Amino acid sequence: MDMKTDKKKLGLKEKYKLLTRDLGWETTYHTADEVFPYVKYEGIKVHDWGKWEDPFRLTMDAYWKYQAEKERKYYAIIDAHAQNNGHLHITDARYLSALKLFVQAISPGEYAAGKGFARLGREFPGVGPRVACQMQAIDEIRHAQTQIHAMSNYNKFYNGFHAFADARDRMWYCSLPRSFFDDALSAGPFEFMIAIGFSFEYVLTNLLFVPFMSGAAYNGDMATVTFGFSAQSDEARHMTLGLECIKFMLEQDPDNLPIVQRWIDKWFWRGFRILGVVGTMMDYMLPKRVMSWREAFEIYGAGNGGALFNDLARYGVRLPLEWNDAVKALDHMTHQLNLGLYQWSFGTAFHTGIPSDEDMAWLSKKYPDTFDKYYRPRWEHIKKLKEAGTPFVNTGLAKLCQVCQIPTPYTEPDDPTALCLRESEYKGELYHFCSDGCQRIFHDEPEKYIQAVLPMPQLFQPPLGGDIGAWMNWVGLKNGVDNGDYDGSEDQKNFAAWRATATSNQ
Amino acid sequence: MTYQLTIEPLGQTVAVEAGQTLLDAALRAGVYLPHACCHGLCATCKVQVVEGDIEHGKASSFALMDFEREEGKCLACCARAESDVVIEAEIEEDPDSENLPVSDFAGVVTAIETLTPTIKAVRITLDAAGMRFQAGQYINLELPEGIGSRAFSIASPPAASPEIELNVRIVPGGQGTTYIHEQMRVGEKIRLTGPYGRFFVKKSARTPVLFMAGGSGLSSPRSMILDLLDEGFALPITLVYGQRHRGELYDHEQFVELAARHANFTYLPALSDEPPESDWTGFRGFVHEAAKAHFNNDFRGWKAYLCGPPQMVDAAITALMQGRLFERDIYTEKFISAADAQQVRSPLFRSL
Ligand code: FES
Ligand SMILES: [Fe+2]
Repeated sequence: MDMKTDKKKLGLKEKYKLLTRDLGWETTYHTADEVFPYVKYEGIKVHDWGKWEDPFRLTMDAYWKYQAEKERKYYAIIDAHAQNNGHLHITDARYLSALKLFVQAISPGEYAAGKGFARLGREFPGVGPRVACQMQAIDEIRHAQTQIHAMSNYNKFYNGFHAFADARDRMWYCSLPRSFFDDALSAGPFEFMIAIGFSFEYVLTNLLFVPFMSGAAYNGDMATVTFGFSAQSDEARHMTLGLECIKFMLEQDPDNLPIVQRWIDKWFWRGFRILGVVGTMMDYMLPKRVMSWREAFEIYGAGNGGALFNDLARYGVRLPLEWNDAVKALDHMTHQLNLGLYQWSFGTAFHTGIPSDEDMAWLSKKYPDTFDKYYRPRWEHIKKLKEAGTPFVNTGLAKLCQVCQIPTPYTEPDDPTALCLRESEYKGELYHFCSDGCQRIFHDEPEKYIQAVLPMPQLFQPPLGGDIGAWMNWVGLKNGVDNGDYDGSEDQKNFAAWRATATSNQ
Repeated sequence: MTYQLTIEPLGQTVAVEAGQTLLDAALRAGVYLPHACCHGLCATCKVQVVEGDIEHGKASSFALMDFEREEGKCLACCARAESDVVIEAEIEEDPDSENLPVSDFAGVVTAIETLTPTIKAVRITLDAAGMRFQAGQYINLELPEGIGSRAFSIASPPAASPEIELNVRIVPGGQGTTYIHEQMRVGEKIRLTGPYGRFFVKKSARTPVLFMAGGSGLSSPRSMILDLLDEGFALPITLVYGQRHRGELYDHEQFVELAARHANFTYLPALSDEPPESDWTGFRGFVHEAAKAHFNNDFRGWKAYLCGPPQMVDAAITALMQGRLFERDIYTEKFISAADAQQVRSPLFRSL
């Protein structure tokens, strides 16, 4: 046999090439267009898939080995957490609302991302992106699973966790992230990459994970901290995939720039809307707080995001259209959303509450320009109503934004006393929007958004006919148990009782 | 305590202080290693330790697992050297790198010449056969009186060995450059180490070569151009060279003369602040503007080498990318200062 006896060690790049290149044969039975039917219709022009760089030259074989080891480590810690009654080591059961929100609103998104990347692992003609997308698909499913497993320890003891899968489709605040992922999954492969690989993994991930994970660490929740570390170790690969994709599109053809820019505009704003939930968790749900939402945005949003857009400017990409609206919303968004969560707390699968005096002192320190002026008086008013035995609830149905699906709780960018509402008529129907951004997104693809499923109108239609208890049943939740004010809840009583047994001789 | 860190497959050796991370040492020496979080969480900076002892620092046990530690992996952003260390990183071998070893040299100053009011040319003749280096590389010059060493690009081509030329701009308040300008004398004995750096022409790519230089950034391009022309490089070479006004445009005559002699060499001087009434007939404006106009905003098929003040390099990169030349074809000469390393950077570009 004629063997090459080159003793020189193969470089990592060559090794990787040898292990993957056979995935990329030229098709002969069918044309490439028939085999990869979805890569052209979005208008992205690609001249050379070989120019796609894959900096993570990870083979499937090595991938399995790493991930298996991560899982072993992770489950050892989760088991220990369960055995040691880790749920009693958190600062306060109030903290659990943050976790409930996470498992209802975010974990299903991980699963959806898994589905999307599995599809891309089939649809991209280039070998590099296909392998990377397949790995990310498995990562995302792993993230969803480890998150659900971490929460399952809490689910044994506390309310509101069990119905997360139905809550994802049927609770109003969950339809915000759900519609984000549905929108991405029903887009073409390149737009999906901008939505998830770029906007979600790069622009949003630090704002999402760092606050949740450090919130968990500050509040003694080791189970969540551990899944955070485990997921973080995949993050570099994910981020790189998104960034490589955006560079690839911009470098392949100048005609791609306006398409990419339109997607960046859209997915920045859609992502920013999801951050409303994250910010509210940071400012209002953590017994021990890490930093305010505003501070987090300054570091991870304006700092890291700003650095990225400086670099993207070299390609001719400009800041997302609604960047300034986002900056203007910083001092208002979380307060307004939390007021919404409180007044609709009969319709949640977690508990809300009136901020304590200490909480309010912290909020006015962190939001010196807005909290005392606009929001403290409302909480004081709500507190009085509660003391008088007539707690404030809002049983009306707010207009839902046809795009991001939130019940339009926010104010005008330049006037925090005027509710921001937009509407458009399309084919004889009236549609509502929370913002200029969402309205613009609608008008780019009206035929897509008129098909959106909005869960809230179901409440007022037969067979529910406005019956809140029946609606909660439909989600698999118990009215008065899984929702409402934390003050007086089962979670509050049980945690106090169990902690007392664990820490005294009663 | 200082150790030697050797980075394979480049074969490049850099100094690493005890307590300094391997990543920091590599980046400061101009060797790019992949990295992202810089906190031991993401595993982007994972490298293989081939020889020597390291301490893992704050590497997360998920980003660097036990079996990997046993295999000798480490996270460069957290790991610290405890002896001389050899690592293997996920970086490409550069076919144009001669991987020349760094050594110490002794020599004597043979000429000092004033190029402009702020720039002096210093010629040094090295002992024995002199130093082997690739055009574009730099040296560390030892200065007396406790000043320490300073890095300077070599402005002369390798063929001029054993003589090397340095062009030194006086930095107001800078001890090293002030010494060179005011106290250094012909006949002075000096010591230097080198050659350093990975800034050299990618000859193996066989593409036309564009240099964009400004301020005191002309040294490396000058060495590279003289070297290319000397060895008969046949593809087009273009130099876009900018200063503020005619008085600062040192070496102008030399490039005019070279352009007259070599059909493949184009010389484009640009002055950004020349008095309007002067007799200057060349381009008026910045380097990137001159290049954009000359290339009609289309740089495809070239490789570009940038040297000069940060704002010039920055504007040049943007102009090149707008003209569809991207990261893989753009090379910059970088001395990363402590402040640069601190700066928030996006991970979009690896080497720009
Ligand atoms: S750069 Fe993230 S682990 Fe080192
Ligand atoms: Fe909206």
